[in-house]
Amino acid sequence: MAATGTATDIAVVGWAQTPAVRRSPSTEVQLLVPTITDAIAMAGLDRREIGFTCSGSCDYLTGGPFAFVQNLEASGAWPPIAESHVEMDGAWALYEAWVRLQHGDIDTALVFSSGKSSASEPMELWPHQLDPYYLAPLGVDPASLAGLQARALLDAGKATERDFAEVVARSRRNGRANPNAQLTGEADVDALLAEPYLREPLRRHDLPPIGDGAAALVLARGARARELCARPAWIRGIDHRIEPHQPGMRDLTTSTSAALAARKAGYDGGPLDLAELHAPFSPQEIVLRQSLGLPEGTEVNPSGGALAANVVMVAGLARVIEAAARIVDGGADRALAHATNGQLLQHNLVCVLEGE
Amino acid sequence: MAERCAVVGVGQTHFTKRRDDVSMPGLLREAVDRALDDAELTLADIDAVVIGKAPDAFEGIVQPELFLADALGAAGKPLMRVHTAGSVGGSTVLVAAHLVQSRIHRRVLAVAWEKQSEGNAQWGLAGGRSGGIGAGGAFAPWIRAYIQRSQAPEYIGWMVAVKDRLNALKNPYAHLRIADITLEKVKESPMLWDPLRFLESCPSSDGACAVVLTDEAGGRRAPRPPAWIAATAMRSELGQFPGRDPVRPQAGVECSADVYRLAGITDPRRQIDVAELYVPFSWYEPMWLEGHDIAGPGEGWKIVDAGETEMGGAFPVNPSGGVLSSNAIGASGMVRFAEAALQVRGLAGEHQVDGARTALAQAYGGAAQYFALGILRSDPD
Amino acid sequence: MSDATTGATTTGTAKQHLVMEHLVSLTYRDALPPSLDRFVDRLLEGHIVGHRCPSCSRVYVPPRGYCPMCVVPTAADHEVEVSDRGILTGFTVITPIAYYGQQETEPFVHASVRLDGADTTLVGVEITGVPHDELRMGLRVKAVWKPESERSTEGISSRGWGGVSSVIDSFEPTGEPDAPPDEYRDHVF
Repeated sequence: MAATGTATDIAVVGWAQTPAVRRSPSTEVQLLVPTITDAIAMAGLDRREIGFTCSGSCDYLTGGPFAFVQNLEASGAWPPIAESHVEMDGAWALYEAWVRLQHGDIDTALVFSSGKSSASEPMELWPHQLDPYYLAPLGVDPASLAGLQARALLDAGKATERDFAEVVARSRRNGRANPNAQLTGEADVDALLAEPYLREPLRRHDLPPIGDGAAALVLARGARARELCARPAWIRGIDHRIEPHQPGMRDLTTSTSAALAARKAGYDGGPLDLAELHAPFSPQEIVLRQSLGLPEGTEVNPSGGALAANVVMVAGLARVIEAAARIVDGGADRALAHATNGQLLQHNLVCVLEGE
Repeated sequence: MAERCAVVGVGQTHFTKRRDDVSMPGLLREAVDRALDDAELTLADIDAVVIGKAPDAFEGIVQPELFLADALGAAGKPLMRVHTAGSVGGSTVLVAAHLVQSRIHRRVLAVAWEKQSEGNAQWGLAGGRSGGIGAGGAFAPWIRAYIQRSQAPEYIGWMVAVKDRLNALKNPYAHLRIADITLEKVKESPMLWDPLRFLESCPSSDGACAVVLTDEAGGRRAPRPPAWIAATAMRSELGQFPGRDPVRPQAGVECSADVYRLAGITDPRRQIDVAELYVPFSWYEPMWLEGHDIAGPGEGWKIVDAGETEMGGAFPVNPSGGVLSSNAIGASGMVRFAEAALQVRGLAGEHQVDGARTALAQAYGGAAQYFALGILRSDPD
Repeated sequence: MSDATTGATTTGTAKQHLVMEHLVSLTYRDALPPSLDRFVDRLLEGHIVGHRCPSCSRVYVPPRGYCPMCVVPTAADHEVEVSDRGILTGFTVITPIAYYGQQETEPFVHASVRLDGADTTLVGVEITGVPHDELRMGLRVKAVWKPESERSTEGISSRGWGGVSSVIDSFEPTGEPDAPPDEYRDHVF
């Protein structure tokens, strides 16, 4: 059997997001209470009808072990619920819920994730996501790693600094139409290129904004999805793959794991109305576009993507929500959503969504 | 109809205070290689990897599975990281089983671990603050409430502590080896978290556990007898709310009811041959006997008192020595499933329960609010 | 090995050439949400407030900004004041374990107190004025407030850990008769 199947039709039928903001006064659970409530309400469900719940978050963001335990308070865990949690972006919680729905004994699932980067210093924190023996002691921050990747991309002749700036300008421009985006506006490519380097060849605008926020999504299976939503966003395939952690083990100018995940998710290179790519650093969008082989004319990140709003642990799930939203409202028939986990696009998930 | 799922490989490291002879990847590989050897498979045969561990703060690495991916041969494969507090080892098996049962993958490696010596779990549990109460401090008030409610004599806790440590002497992987343990020694050990004494509490261990799960075809052609996963269930509830009963949490009651129903069990005390329950503090043995309807309310301690949970008893609990003898936190829940699998496979060695064909594996976590349960059997049907 | 996150030194029989000490310091800014901000302000003034859920009427102290039972937000207009007296609903006596940053050295009480007017318990409070072996569930207790000039917000966290100990030193017996089990058995935590 193929890595993914369409044996069971599962669709996105509801969602909600908070706006991404630099500093939210609310706790993660306070952000989640209205978000989850709104997502379930959009699906027209009572929370007691949810068959399975899965969430994604990261303890280290707020510095408390078991931080996710309190988030359970937003999910209506009384009476008791069937529930699990991944220490990953919410897109992987979505994957786990999708797997669970395959069993056929339940027909709805709730997925949510939250992140508050404002509690910590990201440049100080994220070096500790690296190999503790060989890399973490070096104290390399994510922007420096992304700089190495950008340099490799330039040296390979696969992109120019102007290409990076064009990704930024488009992302911010697209973000203007997204009420949840944090960093939006008109940006002139030449003006962007005139700015100083932060981590050469990256400029500050090649980095994502730092944000707080939450998102929730409701999945339903088969007939139940049709009942709950006039035009469900059907998940035609979803898969994820990881690559070696040591940057020296990989060709940073390509994403073999994203390409493999896309293939396993059933993406055949055919036409897409849009792709929502989780690329926290502008060169990474180029790596993904090239590795996924997106056809000409595919609209990339109409939401503004991670350069307009990058709530860690949420931004991947948000890509699925943005893609699904365009299908549900009739603006698109086929979309690809991508999420990444770890540094340097180490781990990638691809989800192909379609309307009927 | 979900695909049948079998445990065809089990591997554990020796659990011990500190394994400074191996790195974290080395520790995991020890368990993984043993599980693969048991299944007569290699890493190349594995379709997906699921990793579980308790909070990242315990070793001080954010999402350590990212760097462990290399050593686990996960490159090019899906890798999931589960975290459901203390129940995580159990949940990790369940998440891995779901991948097989849903027919997405045929062979999945699940691994769970903790290397407490490379960090400080007490610091981690306290969130870096002074006045940390440890897990024992969190559970002690509920244990007191259980004792008061059930009118159990205090020696029940000592009995469980002695029984599990004696069982551990028969398990080559167990951490604590207290050959001369007696009721008197437990009774005389220091009071840590009143009413819990030192010898009624689990140790801090380094260690890892791995299981290889396959579909029905994989189970049928396995080189050694497989353990069939007859049923699984997970439940969570709020940790603190007015009217909550943390002594016999509703999530635990419903989780076991679900797993019994799915496995066709109507009389768990008679139909289950052996149980591996997550008992980090001695009193949790009678509490889970009641919390999972193996005994009626107030009756759990009487089963312990009658010796029924001993190796030769009618309802043996934790022949491996349990969490009271080995506690690499993230791994502990998975060890319950691994040991249950060994029992129904007839491969538990010296601590084998004669004729065990149906086993219960249980893990719990958080404020006794997360539950992961499984029924494993010798036969697929 | 990397002794990450802790100040613990590496001792024992480890071969020193295998050991790498890697101490990490991370900076966190724990901003109190509006719901707790208000609670702290009132606490410093000697009053304890909570939120009454508009849906189920349960009173949460400290206020969480939502009711986890009903999953509805609560806000300032749901504020109610509760008593500084209540019932000891559960406890243990902790023998402190040494770790980096641990300042406790002597056994201390870790108790839950349900204040009169509240449906939840304050967790992790110290009980004084009674020998440890006379502690019992159902004991009626009252707050021992620090002098106003010594009160601080030090122990209060947005994560709900730590507690009121930087404002209320401990709780001590009131001398009233013990409360019956009905009033505490559902509030052990």
